[in-house]
Amino acid sequence: MRLEKCWFCSSTIYPGHGIQFVRNDAKIFRFCRSKCHKNFKMKRNPRKVKWTKAYRRLHGKDMTQDSTFEFERKRNRPQRYDRINTEKVLQAIPKISKVKATREKDHITKRLSVGRVNRKREDRRELEQSISLVKAPSVLKEDATLTLPKQKVTVSYAQTENTRMEE
Amino acid sequence: MAARFLSKSSSGCSLLGALGTTLVGVGSVARETTSKLNYSDIFFQQQRTFVQMGTNLKVVDNSGAKRVMCIQALKSKKGAKLGDIIIGSVKEAQPRGKVKKGDVVYGVVVRAAMQRGRCDGSHVRFDDNAVVVVNKQGEPIGTRVFGPVPHELRKKKHVKILALAEHIA
Repeated sequence: MRLEKCWFCSSTIYPGHGIQFVRNDAKIFRFCRSKCHKNFKMKRNPRKVKWTKAYRRLHGKDMTQDSTFEFERKRNRPQRYDRINTEKVLQAIPKISKVKATREKDHITKRLSVGRVNRKREDRRELEQSISLVKAPSVLKEDATLTLPKQKVTVSYAQTENTRMEE
Repeated sequence: MAARFLSKSSSGCSLLGALGTTLVGVGSVARETTSKLNYSDIFFQQQRTFVQMGTNLKVVDNSGAKRVMCIQALKSKKGAKLGDIIIGSVKEAQPRGKVKKGDVVYGVVVRAAMQRGRCDGSHVRFDDNAVVVVNKQGEPIGTRVFGPVPHELRKKKHVKILALAEHIA
């Protein structure tokens, strides 16, 4: 039994799933489900189809190089059955997959963190520039509570009551 | 031939005779209103069926024949699948070969466009319909076999063909 990779989306194909297509030049294409198979028949390039792993790796969305990928390399040399080795491997598999998952998640978070910082900066700038749409500038000057979040101002209880009445 | 609008459920026999393949109804494509109607999409969504009377198969050995038309699929009323034996009539042959045009020959289907289920639950399908000319005992008449062959032949006891094959899928 061997867990193959779908040619189109690169997900694992478990036994009993999917279709194997053998071309006349003896190249075998395996598909995990009919969605991938149909996309292949439509001659779509997986590197251009957004939801495939090939696209994501190519465009840097997902991790491409990592030592955890070495464990999943296809090895064609058959190994003699060794009970101790097999048990060690079976114990190692969940650990490795956990490490791999955390590393992939970190890669994505790192990639998205740039956007978070940018959005925060944009929001702050918008607040500074457009606060006049919400409150008149003259009101802002009088009232210390309505300043923008960056500055921390100590507010007395009487002033907060006043602002609530105005709104 | 006119395109037939069939429901998706019929993947098996078409008792309507001559056609070996039928096109899945245009209705299913028309439902996707978001994507534009690409005629190549319909073309590629073919419903593959059995090798039946009238099916043209390519001959992939050096027995002399080039094309064979199936006149009978042995062992099944619906039609022949991958690994089955058929009786065919040679439609096109090379000038100097062991078989001539018009001969009635036996053949083993080594490549079928219709998928065949394997015992582990997976399915295999090939790109075209191909046959190896064989005598009544099941031994190939030619001495070479071209292209990939499935290992379903081992179960059907066509060991000689497997031995001659250049690639076993």
